[in-house]
Amino acid sequence: MAQGRKGQLNYRCPRCLMREIDMDMLYDADQAEYYCLRCSFVGDEQEVLRLNAQFRDKYRARTIRITEF
Amino acid sequence: MTAFYVNIVHRPEMVPEYLQKEAEQGKVEDLTRRAVLQESLDIFRTQQQIAHANGLRTTIQMTYASLFNAEAVALAQEHHARFGDEIGLTFLGLQCAEFREKFKSKELAIWLFSLEDKRRIVDELFGKFFEVFGFYPTSTGSYYLDAELVNYLKGRYPQVKAAVATCWEEGPKAYWNANNSWYTLLDGGPWNPWIPSRRNIHCPASDEADDIGLVAIPHLSRDLMAVFDGPGSYYGTHPQNILRGMAYEGRELPYFQNLVDQYRALAQYNRGYAYNMMFVGPGWMSKSGRWEADYAFLLKSYQAGLAYYGELKQQGRLQDLTLSEFADVYRQDRPYSRPECALWRDILYGSRRQMFWYADPAMRFCLDMNQGGAMVDLRPYAAKLIRPCGVGTKANQDASYPFLVQSLYRAGYFTHYAGEGAVKSCKIGHGGEQVDLCTCRTQASFSEAGDTRLVTLEPVTLEFEAFSVRVQSEFRLTEGSGEVEIIRRVLDSTRPDAELSIDEYLTGCYGTTEYPEDLTGVRLSLKNGSASEAIDYAYQCREAELADVQCVEAVIPPVDTRLSLRADGAASGYFREGFSFSPMYTLGIKKTLRGQGELRTWLKVAKAS
Repeated sequence: MAQGRKGQLNYRCPRCLMREIDMDMLYDADQAEYYCLRCSFVGDEQEVLRLNAQFRDKYRARTIRITEF
Repeated sequence: MTAFYVNIVHRPEMVPEYLQKEAEQGKVEDLTRRAVLQESLDIFRTQQQIAHANGLRTTIQMTYASLFNAEAVALAQEHHARFGDEIGLTFLGLQCAEFREKFKSKELAIWLFSLEDKRRIVDELFGKFFEVFGFYPTSTGSYYLDAELVNYLKGRYPQVKAAVATCWEEGPKAYWNANNSWYTLLDGGPWNPWIPSRRNIHCPASDEADDIGLVAIPHLSRDLMAVFDGPGSYYGTHPQNILRGMAYEGRELPYFQNLVDQYRALAQYNRGYAYNMMFVGPGWMSKSGRWEADYAFLLKSYQAGLAYYGELKQQGRLQDLTLSEFADVYRQDRPYSRPECALWRDILYGSRRQMFWYADPAMRFCLDMNQGGAMVDLRPYAAKLIRPCGVGTKANQDASYPFLVQSLYRAGYFTHYAGEGAVKSCKIGHGGEQVDLCTCRTQASFSEAGDTRLVTLEPVTLEFEAFSVRVQSEFRLTEGSGEVEIIRRVLDSTRPDAELSIDEYLTGCYGTTEYPEDLTGVRLSLKNGSASEAIDYAYQCREAELADVQCVEAVIPPVDTRLSLRADGAASGYFREGFSFSPMYTLGIKKTLRGQGELRTWLKVAKAS
């Protein structure tokens, strides 16, 4: 197995992120996948991006400009 | 007339942790790595340029390392002369080759050194600053500055008038968020500037004798709802924090402006005064990107944030002050007894939830309107706990101010089918039925009557098997009283002859973390005109009740606090001891009525000794 290295961006583990734990992942260039040292997440960049989008869904007002307080 | 003051703070942090960590990938530690020093300085320069381009002045807080860097010093001097920026001194960014050589320590947090080392470091940094600039700074800061450190600093350098002194609600949540490796255990302070007590930095000073001698600034202005239940480093006036929390979509983050505007709106609860601060170190704008964001996005978010402040300034809606200028302005109109109030609304999750935050020299508390106005956080500032932190102290890394109630750390209304959680609420009963107001969502409004602040909740309807009643809650906060007056008013009933019980209760504990503390020795007592009852807590499920109660109280020695409830008129009082699986105590006052009526009680926190 190849040595895990930091990816181009510091992708955090999306599964740990769901628990609000910031855990940088390592990238396995041979397998072209990220993996987490804390939980058992493994996935390619598309999978990370898909889960990150899911994480953002909880912010239902994230695109709304609120002007009345 | 309202005033919205903003502090923009930049620090030339020569060896920021994040940049250093990146540069170290696959290499051994080198605090003099040229690439890191230069990138950091470039980012600092960029931040300054963005602020000035938007017509904003800054406070440049020099780090120890930057005092050895001629370019950083020259930049600070130039910006002071040209733009009127203040040159201050921060205890962040301590680590550099010179520090390592002098102090032989890898410690990065000033508050975690021994008191003896803190003193040496204060003198070294202030001395070096004077050597470089020829004057002493009037503002300083860190993520946290403990009272013992500030007392020493003020004794030696009395000209210091402002300090970044805590990170709001960075405690166990921040620790957990950072994979249990970030030791900013600092829960329990105010969210907006305050004049601290000389006994504990978290507590607002009671009077001049208690005044520590500077105005404390919280590190960032944070979302008072999202941060109560989430990491502090996700939701604040720090654009890269918002990226870290992923509270954006498609490279747009309206949340930042919403946050600023909600802080501006706090003027309506604070006699026309509102405040914001932004404090971003270079490490957050790493050229190689951070938090899934590339450098272009990091930069854009910072530019957009300062552009919004600049726009508000142009419109005459914002005053950009340096930290020391702000301290002067703040003290001009700030009686010690004046509370800080915030009726905060959700601006992130799309709910209508509100929380009311209150802080004065006696206490800090939070009411959650999603739980019928239940008190979900209570900190006994009146105790003014002397609680040193750092090496050689009992607290060591745990610099939080203790709570008596914290519903997220200690369950609150919902427990897993056994025992009770920490919360202050009210139960309305009829026969064998009982409804806790925690289950009745509502909305609140704020008003003032002289020196009394009122939080009035919209009535809620409670449904019993055969009838329903409408109940309204009101919280009255009279400045300087050290009490919370709580009125539970039964407005009407569909069966006016039905007897109702109103049970105002507080289930409490104490601590700074999620884990239980030993309640042995907590004294629970109550008395009326002719009798009294008291027990020392021993996990034995004991209870006592007296009619026509005068006072129900708990004395909690580990936090030197006396917590009491009293009522007006005829009511009975009770206390209830918990057990090991439910390490809580409950104090309550109750009465019965038919049709309409109210129960009025007062909650007080006082120093026990």
